[in-house]
Amino acid sequence: MANDPFAALAHPIRRDIIERLSGGATTVGEASRELGVSKPTISRHLRLLEEAGVVARVIEGRTHRLALRPETLADAAEWIESQRARWERLFDAVGDYLEEQADKE
Amino acid sequence: MIEPPGYVVRIERTFEASAEAVFDAWTSAEVLRRWFHVAPDWDTPEAEVDLRVGGKVRVVMRNPDGAEHGARGEYSLVERPHRLAMTWTFDDDPSNQQMIELWFSESEGSTTVVMVNSGISTDERRDAQHDGWHGCFDSLERALAT
Repeated sequence: MANDPFAALAHPIRRDIIERLSGGATTVGEASRELGVSKPTISRHLRLLEEAGVVARVIEGRTHRLALRPETLADAAEWIESQRARWERLFDAVGDYLEEQADKE
Repeated sequence: MIEPPGYVVRIERTFEASAEAVFDAWTSAEVLRRWFHVAPDWDTPEAEVDLRVGGKVRVVMRNPDGAEHGARGEYSLVERPHRLAMTWTFDDDPSNQQMIELWFSESEGSTTVVMVNSGISTDERRDAQHDGWHGCFDSLERALAT
């Protein structure tokens, strides 16, 4: 599971945290406020996000700040786009084929 | 914890044809052959469709050097001309078994196809390394957009 940005995105709580961080770096408290789950649960989700390289933690004295690492998410998005391009090409093939069938009639 | 499997890729396209014609095109070996036939000097040695629940679909292309690229799937739902679902795995990414679901809806002579390409739910997956790959593309897009 480590190093897998897709796994990191697979849970609604982790997606909530990512969305909160998309506005900029923030404290652990801010990022996890009112998520309705216990602190150990939050810690577990944060650890997964860090292991996947999606979130970085900076410790300044007693304050832990979290920030998104957009390059990891960009890699995931690029991979998804390559998948999409493959399937778009199949739709193109379907379209060409249908046009030829229509011309035959 | 049970999670809804978020989609990864959703494609919607409208064709000027009946739902039957679009469904038949989508499930034809000829279209699969063309999909994988990327250049004139490549060939498609395999393109097979066994259109029934549990039936296999297989396509392989070969480049001029003889290297083969392929994909395989198995139909899990066949309801011509409205619904189609199958598993799908590209040979170059064997641990990533995907799910393809299609909806065909005809209106005034045109047919809109919606394709949703997702991962398979966690408990069906054997490869723990890719556990939960059914990430949410929406969140990803939002996170990247900001």
